[in-house]
Amino acid sequence: MATRDKSSRRFLSEAQSAWLLLTPFLAVYALFLVYPFFRGFWISLHDWNLLAVAFNPDAKEYVGLRNYERVMWGRNIEWGALASPALQIIGVLGVVIAVFFRRMRRMSRTTAIALGVASAMLFLLPGFHPGEGGRWFDRRFWPTVGNTLVFVGLTVPGVTVSALVLAAALNRETRAMAILRTVFFLSQVLSVTVVTLIWQIMFSPRQGLIANITEVFGGSPIVWLTNEQFAMAAIVITTVWWSLGIAMILFLAGLQDISRDLYEAAALDNATGLKAFWYITLPNLQRTITLVIVLQIILHFQVFGQSHLMTNGGPNDTTQVLVRYIYQTAFRDSELGRASAMAVFLFLIMGGFSIIQFLIGREEDR
Amino acid sequence: MMNRSYYWLIVALSIPAFVWLVPTVWMVSLSFQPNEVLARTTSTTALGLVPIPFTAENYAALFAFGQTPMWFLNSVIVAVGMTLGVLAVSTTAGYALARLDFRFKTPITVLCLIGLMVPEQAVFIPLYTMFADLGWHNSYHALILPRMAVPIGVFLMMQFFKAIPKDIEEAARLDGVSWLRIFWYVMLPLARPAMMTLAILTFLYAWNDYLWPLVSAQQKEYFTITLGLASIQSNFAQSEGLGRVMASGVIASLPVVILFLIFQRYVVQAMTVGGSKG
Repeated sequence: MATRDKSSRRFLSEAQSAWLLLTPFLAVYALFLVYPFFRGFWISLHDWNLLAVAFNPDAKEYVGLRNYERVMWGRNIEWGALASPALQIIGVLGVVIAVFFRRMRRMSRTTAIALGVASAMLFLLPGFHPGEGGRWFDRRFWPTVGNTLVFVGLTVPGVTVSALVLAAALNRETRAMAILRTVFFLSQVLSVTVVTLIWQIMFSPRQGLIANITEVFGGSPIVWLTNEQFAMAAIVITTVWWSLGIAMILFLAGLQDISRDLYEAAALDNATGLKAFWYITLPNLQRTITLVIVLQIILHFQVFGQSHLMTNGGPNDTTQVLVRYIYQTAFRDSELGRASAMAVFLFLIMGGFSIIQFLIGREEDR
Repeated sequence: MMNRSYYWLIVALSIPAFVWLVPTVWMVSLSFQPNEVLARTTSTTALGLVPIPFTAENYAALFAFGQTPMWFLNSVIVAVGMTLGVLAVSTTAGYALARLDFRFKTPITVLCLIGLMVPEQAVFIPLYTMFADLGWHNSYHALILPRMAVPIGVFLMMQFFKAIPKDIEEAARLDGVSWLRIFWYVMLPLARPAMMTLAILTFLYAWNDYLWPLVSAQQKEYFTITLGLASIQSNFAQSEGLGRVMASGVIASLPVVILFLIFQRYVVQAMTVGGSKG
């Protein structure tokens, strides 16, 4: 025993071991995430030209919040309840739905609050518009945010609904089903550049498969990627094809948790197939559905490659999205300060949704 | 369950499954057709879905004088390097946070997990200026290091280590084994499945990442295959020929698709964790 005591004194204590094991991660974490994160804020408070500062580190100028003003604000900005009616009405509807479902106890507290806040923002923010003789300082920023929202608004329901239907249909442990699941998941592992390569040519009016099929049926091919009406649709289709897999897998995991007994009990009441899906699957999957939707919003709000590679943000800026605008402002226009202000804006939105995601993930089933 | 409605379901599902598979099959098929034919039409046989007339010329050309092999090698180096790096820092930190007791444990855990909220797009500009100041751009470590700071791996390993029963450790402690030895000889072997999931998650991310390499690697010698493919697809028709670009796309996808088909269970798990937490 004596020798053991002696040798154990040579060992590091529990706390020492812990710090030793933590150091490598904490070092890279502090250097490459925590520090850049705060440095991003700092850059956003400066007039910071990429090239000028590269040559002379003192060429930056502290400007306070002016970058935020130059990006998000304008001259003579007013607020009106019907400045952009469509979005604002959706916002009001969202608030009503949140209150109503919460009253009916059909929605959890977190979901209701999240939906309520998001909808209230949708009512408030689009109400701002330039008054007489006024204009936005940056004419492209809000339309870009709008395009990103349109992209998210089309992709998320598209992915969610199709993934949910597929998951419900594929939720059986047979070989055929496993193969089908593999097929639907396969595109998910491809990189964004492969995906855009495939679909760029799929959509090509001269060489594309879609055009070839249209011609077989005697139609004239659509010029998808350079047509203002179809460019966004093309990007959405590409993204749904690409990212259906994760949503489907998350739904399948959620379906595993629904007890078989429920379906058997329902079958006694003649509720099978669609009826069972509506009355048993959907209500029991509510939490997973919310989680998948929030997740998809976070994921797709960061869209970049599809827009950058397939349409270059065009035609006429109709597919310009936020991350691509940040990238261009920083690395084409060399305006790091303004780009960082936009990145902070992006982070705040993402952060908000991450908190919702965290709260839903933690929330106990009611 | 094996009744008629089940078979109808299979038939009904086969149609969307076929549609889902078509774009990928089309890419593979085009990559095996001669460029002269493709310049005329892409729908020679069965709308181009069957590679007749057939040629392996595109692949031969790719390896003879394209930059694809170099980019492919870069991707391998970056993806393997990043995977090993992430495994090293995540298993150690995850173990310390899950099983060891020390001062400031809770604040440090919280600090690490808050990082899950920070998207890559929120830090890529400051990272760019930092690496530029250090003169690190156009190097392998510039491509590898930033991702090692992402706490998803720590989170994953922490969850795993927390679930291991305490008595294994306690028995070893009574025998006077040091914490570091317990970590190395007892815990790491147990953690193999979790490490596998994390390794695949990281490898897929590294292989497919586009934004950071686009910003950091400006010289073609340091392009990853994902970035290289993006650089040739804009002018595919004129310079390279459609077949060859498609062959590059196939080559770029091959490792991840093979990985997926072999380790499907881990990949699905990895993407689920990665999708839901980072």
